[in-house]
Amino acid sequence: MKAIILAAGEGKRLRPFTETMPKVMLPVANKPILEYVVDSVKNSGISDIIMVVGYKKEVIMEYFKDYKDIKITYVMQEKQLGTAHALLQAKKHLKHPFIVLSGDNIIDQKSISKLIDEPSKYSILIKEHSHPSKYGVVFVEKNKLKKIVEKPKQETGKFISTGIYKLPNTIFNYIETLASEGVYALSSVIQFIVDSSEEIRVITAESWMDIVYPWDLIRVNEAMIHQSSASTSGTIEKGVVMKGAVSIGKDTTIYSGCYIVGPVVIGEGCEIGPNACIFPSTTIGDNTVVHPFNEIRNSVIMDDVHIASHSTISHSVIGMGTHIGNNFSAIPGDTTAEIEQEFKKLKDTGVMIGEDSIVGDGVATEPGIIIGRQCKVSSLNRITKNIPSKANVM
Amino acid sequence: MCGIIGYAGFRNAQSVLIECLKRLEYRGYDSAGVGIIDKKLSVCKEVGEISNLEKNIPTMKGTMGIGHTRWATRGKVSKENAHPQVSGNKKIAIIHNGIIENFQSLKEELQQKGHKFSSQTDSEIIAHVIEEEYADTLENAVCSALKKIKGSYALAVISEQEPEKIIGARNESPLVIGVGDNENFLASDITALLNYTNRVIYLDDGEIVVMTKNSIRVIDGKKKKLTKKEKIVNWDVKDAEKSGFDHFMLKEIYDQPESIRQLLRGRISEIEEKINFPERVESILGTEYDSIHIVACGTSFYAGLVGKYLIEQLTKIPVFVELASEFRYFGIKKDTSLVVAVTQSGETADTLAALREAKSAGCKTIVITNVIGSTATRIADAYILTQSGPEIGVAATKTFTSQILTLFLLALKEASVRKTLGPDEIYHYILQLKKLPSQVRKILDNIDEITAIAKHLKDAQSVFFIGRGIYYPLSLEGALKLKEISYIHAEGFASGELKHGPFSLLTKDTPVIAIVASDETYDKMITSIGEVKAREPPVIAIADEKDSEIEKHADFVLHFPSNGLPLSGISIAVILQLLAYHVAKLRGCSIDKPRNLAKSVTVD
Repeated sequence: MKAIILAAGEGKRLRPFTETMPKVMLPVANKPILEYVVDSVKNSGISDIIMVVGYKKEVIMEYFKDYKDIKITYVMQEKQLGTAHALLQAKKHLKHPFIVLSGDNIIDQKSISKLIDEPSKYSILIKEHSHPSKYGVVFVEKNKLKKIVEKPKQETGKFISTGIYKLPNTIFNYIETLASEGVYALSSVIQFIVDSSEEIRVITAESWMDIVYPWDLIRVNEAMIHQSSASTSGTIEKGVVMKGAVSIGKDTTIYSGCYIVGPVVIGEGCEIGPNACIFPSTTIGDNTVVHPFNEIRNSVIMDDVHIASHSTISHSVIGMGTHIGNNFSAIPGDTTAEIEQEFKKLKDTGVMIGEDSIVGDGVATEPGIIIGRQCKVSSLNRITKNIPSKANVM
Repeated sequence: MCGIIGYAGFRNAQSVLIECLKRLEYRGYDSAGVGIIDKKLSVCKEVGEISNLEKNIPTMKGTMGIGHTRWATRGKVSKENAHPQVSGNKKIAIIHNGIIENFQSLKEELQQKGHKFSSQTDSEIIAHVIEEEYADTLENAVCSALKKIKGSYALAVISEQEPEKIIGARNESPLVIGVGDNENFLASDITALLNYTNRVIYLDDGEIVVMTKNSIRVIDGKKKKLTKKEKIVNWDVKDAEKSGFDHFMLKEIYDQPESIRQLLRGRISEIEEKINFPERVESILGTEYDSIHIVACGTSFYAGLVGKYLIEQLTKIPVFVELASEFRYFGIKKDTSLVVAVTQSGETADTLAALREAKSAGCKTIVITNVIGSTATRIADAYILTQSGPEIGVAATKTFTSQILTLFLLALKEASVRKTLGPDEIYHYILQLKKLPSQVRKILDNIDEITAIAKHLKDAQSVFFIGRGIYYPLSLEGALKLKEISYIHAEGFASGELKHGPFSLLTKDTPVIAIVASDETYDKMITSIGEVKAREPPVIAIADEKDSEIEKHADFVLHFPSNGLPLSGISIAVILQLLAYHVAKLRGCSIDKPRNLAKSVTVD
């Protein structure tokens, strides 16, 4: 059986992090979200993947060129019109029943295996969710799908569609019919199939995670970091204390006096310390330098980041190549954030800083602040508002 | 320079050979052919790229054979001159990369014995000599034939009398053995084989291999058996694919934030404020020498010229940059001098020869190369790998910036050994190095500015590049990039030299690209631009992003991110590469395979 993974989307609500890479390539415990999906698919015994790519496709293709034991065929979706449209691009590669997944939702291998083993022609993976109205809410009767409602206005139902299906290739007849009427969403096609009295079996997924907003990276990182095995290479100087599961990449040096409490993942070629403290659920990418007397907690620090001394960073995401000066403070707390005209209540959240920004000495950021890509924040600023990409704060 | 491939195994030889040849196409692509033995020897050759051979080849059975992609050196491009070349009795087929020096006398000798030749190549002689020497086994025939042949070669030989066997031989041209299960390979370059195996045995000069699908035996010229170690190569085959980019060259330009990181990884320590090199390199740098000779060809030569400015500025040691093809014959090789060879492939024939000359004259030698296990790494006393990953586009891009950075690190290390820089100055440079990946990303991000300028250049007959200091060799490199892929005539000049001749070529239709750094030569550069403007050509300035004055002087401006002075050269190099690429693209040129050029030049 083949699997088709939809990975063409941009992820506008995850800006600034998606300005240079597609949403599926955002790192969770130093691994792109998409790699978790591909791993689960591979471990369920599938060896042939069709990947629908579009926005910043080079980043995906460049990364997966090294991926072993699985055949990946790339299909281009030039305009991201909808999930059914994405599927249609891969029609010629899909002659038999297949699995469809979205590349930006982490799913476990067992759930995929259950889906493969299910004998019925059509099946869907669903999941219970505390805020179903953001998703496609599903209504089920006797393990059969009855109705699927995209983003209902009122809170209704409690199960949502994970967007993961097993489908026969005859579905392309339906997709093509509806596409000619301008309907491009897979959920609408599925509803149409239900209405045509085809039976769609429902299976509950064990673990499924969605990433919609920048701070979701912290939550998902926290959930997935446990899966990384504790392995240490590189140089660890005398006088370093490490507790719990700590993973350290090759060519990394941890200088004396550092205190690291796992789960923590540190990439390759980093320099940490002396005397830096790194607390649970923190991921640090490759080639990052953390100078003396820093405290980092429950955060995602990407590649090439430079953090000067005496900074406090917690519940935050720091993008690739960003330089942070001395005495930086990302104040964590509760707030209401606005993204793409939506208001979101946040608990205990620090700062989100995009790629290649430069933050001066003594800067403090209020909870939930988003600083864009290639921004310059000069020293001793207190940041109380979001800063768009490429802006300078004097 | 040509690509050769041999296969003995269980798969259909034709499809294996064609696929591997495609991966060797960068070494030459004017004609190609395969020879396969299925009881009888059959040979198929075509003029043009591998795809042309693939289109016209009949289906051939057989699981062993040889293949060749040619870059004409002796004899024009034609079907007869393509390889494999066969013997008079049509039983032996050979493929050859290199040059046979005594082919004329061998040819006359053989003609007297009644041999008839059907091509103008020197390679055909080899097949005939082997036929002449064939008494008992192919192995013995090849060994005695090689005693008669003078010159450089990587060779693969098959004969229908011994249909299991491929004999390979190497002298001054690259040849590697790929080790598989129940199949074995020969190739000019390991990247050709990575789809099948990453286990490799490197052959040395003068060695001969006798290979079947399940045995490999390496011998020397005196038929003594040698023990060779198998090595694992970490490159994946798909490394050599384009990852969604239109051309390898563009992909390799975009690789640079990563290739710079790979180069710096483990080599600089910000906390300890030091530069780390392999032990052998460090011990050579610790010795007393009074001058440095950098020897290289092409783009590597320009990287060497940049290196001269960097090393002299930071260490005060005099540096001489020499073209390898000249240095090998004419250069002064003193044992008090350190010779640094720069070669991407590690197989450039002239650079290898220069290295051998220098070594035998008692010089300490270091090579900067991208290819582990290449011949240069085995000749030199020590080597530094640029760790750029494979570069397939014929026009060098990421390896150029990596070579400059390697020379910069070398200068920093030497400066710390000789204490011409204090730890704080070194720390300052380390911080600047760390900023490079994000600065290159910033340039890649503002690609629209560059494509807009490319439109102004695409119809030019001739383009000049000018600069001072390290921006002079960068001007040379900018001109080289533009001419080699867009076929527009381009020249680089030190801007002080304009008035000593080149001025007479300036017209209002000759765009001038001026690299303007905010250093002590800034005012001089502005003066040069003024002089140029007086002849009315359009001036495109490449200037620091903080330079707000430059707009007044130039017609168009491309900005590079501010960084410490020598290191902004990396950003400028990337801008020049993108400019050349987009001009070539607008002109519809064959960017990855420019006419008459090949990636690594393994002939003199």
